[in-house]
Amino acid sequence: MSILSVNNLSKRYGPIQALNNVSFDVPKGSVFGILGPNGSGKTTLLGIVMDIIKATSGNYNWLGHPGSEAQRKQIGTLLETPNFYHYLSGERNLKIAAAIKEKDPTDIPRVLQIVNLFQRKDSKFNTYSLGMKQRLAIASTLLGNPDILVFDEPTNGLDPAGIAEIRELIKQLNREGKTIIMASHILDEVEKVCTHVAIIQKGVLKTIGTVNEVLATTDDTSVSIELAAENMAVLESTLRQLPGLINIVDSNGVIQINCEGTVTAAQVNKWCFEKGIVLNQLSMKRKTLEKRFLEITGTQSDR
Amino acid sequence: MMRLLQIEWMKLKHYRAFKVFGILYLAGILGVLFIMNVVYSNISAAQITKFLANPFDYPAIWNTTGWLNSWLLFFPGWLVINHCVNEFNFKTHRQNVIDGWSREQFITAKLLLIVAFAVVITVISILATIIMGLSLGASFSFEGIESMGFVFIQSLVYMLFAFMLAILLRKSGLAAGIFFLFGLIFEIIIVQLINRKFDLAPVGFFMPLQVSDELFPIPFLDQVINIKKPAIWALLLGCATYCSAYVYFAIRKFRYDDL
Repeated sequence: MSILSVNNLSKRYGPIQALNNVSFDVPKGSVFGILGPNGSGKTTLLGIVMDIIKATSGNYNWLGHPGSEAQRKQIGTLLETPNFYHYLSGERNLKIAAAIKEKDPTDIPRVLQIVNLFQRKDSKFNTYSLGMKQRLAIASTLLGNPDILVFDEPTNGLDPAGIAEIRELIKQLNREGKTIIMASHILDEVEKVCTHVAIIQKGVLKTIGTVNEVLATTDDTSVSIELAAENMAVLESTLRQLPGLINIVDSNGVIQINCEGTVTAAQVNKWCFEKGIVLNQLSMKRKTLEKRFLEITGTQSDR
Repeated sequence: MMRLLQIEWMKLKHYRAFKVFGILYLAGILGVLFIMNVVYSNISAAQITKFLANPFDYPAIWNTTGWLNSWLLFFPGWLVINHCVNEFNFKTHRQNVIDGWSREQFITAKLLLIVAFAVVITVISILATIIMGLSLGASFSFEGIESMGFVFIQSLVYMLFAFMLAILLRKSGLAAGIFFLFGLIFEIIIVQLINRKFDLAPVGFFMPLQVSDELFPIPFLDQVINIKKPAIWALLLGCATYCSAYVYFAIRKFRYDDL
């Protein structure tokens, strides 16, 4: 049975169609990424399944049942921004959250330690930095150790170390068997953390599947290789004669070549060496989710 | 029910601005009684007061407290607006629902808080009246204590009106502005227009806040200036109707809208 099943959800804000007939299922035990540009409808979608936004049409089920407050108590959710009482300390805010969720308040020190906020538990929320607010929101989702977690842009406002910690936390939670639904506009994040991905644009579901499936589904079989050598000018002119070359992009001290799918890194290396060029950098670029994403959504920043 | 009220109280009990204003208001109930007594002692030399009941003797003193408190009720009304609009500003109204309250529970918690406030205001009004009576050496009597029941009802009318404005408008400045302007200026003008200009008394007394104000005749002046007053039961019915309407509009808005 799927954790979350969304059926033909649509949402209209006046003239704007924020969601258009979106359907998908979130399998148990997955890290399910909802990927889309800003304003594509990710938060609207999560808002609907959390009952703070009313769908224009369609429905959703959590664990096979229509959404209810009893179910929401068993789901840890961070939606859009950390929402807390500004004049209360982090700990007192979590006490309110625990009381509403009907979770034991003795769990509060544990969740604060997970997000490294225990030392600042008595400081008022409005004295927290953006990153600390985000950490508190993540701590709140972990109260009572729920089996389902929903994160909307979980690494928003975090520093690089914080981003790495939270990504590791998400993977760790998934290893413990929890299902995580995560909205993000950061491709790299989805690629590194998620098992499944749904790509959404202008409220329309563009594609869905495991991350590998989505990456594999492409008509473009070309490969990208990045290389560099002592004498870049010679390297470039030599590469222009490479059999199977499609184009060359010179960027920032490395040359990126796009070739037909049959070309391998070994061939390129051998070919350069025979022409008297010793490469000091050679890397095969995997077709990244970013490229796939741009193929699907177009390159324009288009809402 | 108690659990909802407990959680609502957790939100407020460490909120300093709320505590300071709340305590100042409650102290103010006794404070205005003393101030009015000073004013009254100064004018009581004038002949007119000899013909009227002393507002600081039992049973009239119960009504005096209620009437004075009716001017102060803008403070608890403002506290209700502030608390509700805070939820919208902090988006905690969303978070409460996300964390597992139903939309109805969110509203119910607020309504319970308002009822609790009304109880506290009533109790403090009773205590303030007794303290004032003792300090003047008046002989105590339960006669006229129904005015304290009216205090409870009027507190509900004012706070529920403020609550509805906050839920419908979601903006502190707008809700508070309308609450104060309407209650302190426009309603008084409208009441006078209806009752005197158009000679439709007592229809004007049934305006949203005025209907509860009329539960308390103006001490030592009422016999002089007032006209065709509605019966108490009609006023109470009016209060109940308005309270139901305020609650109905607030629930309807919160239950079906995007939060």
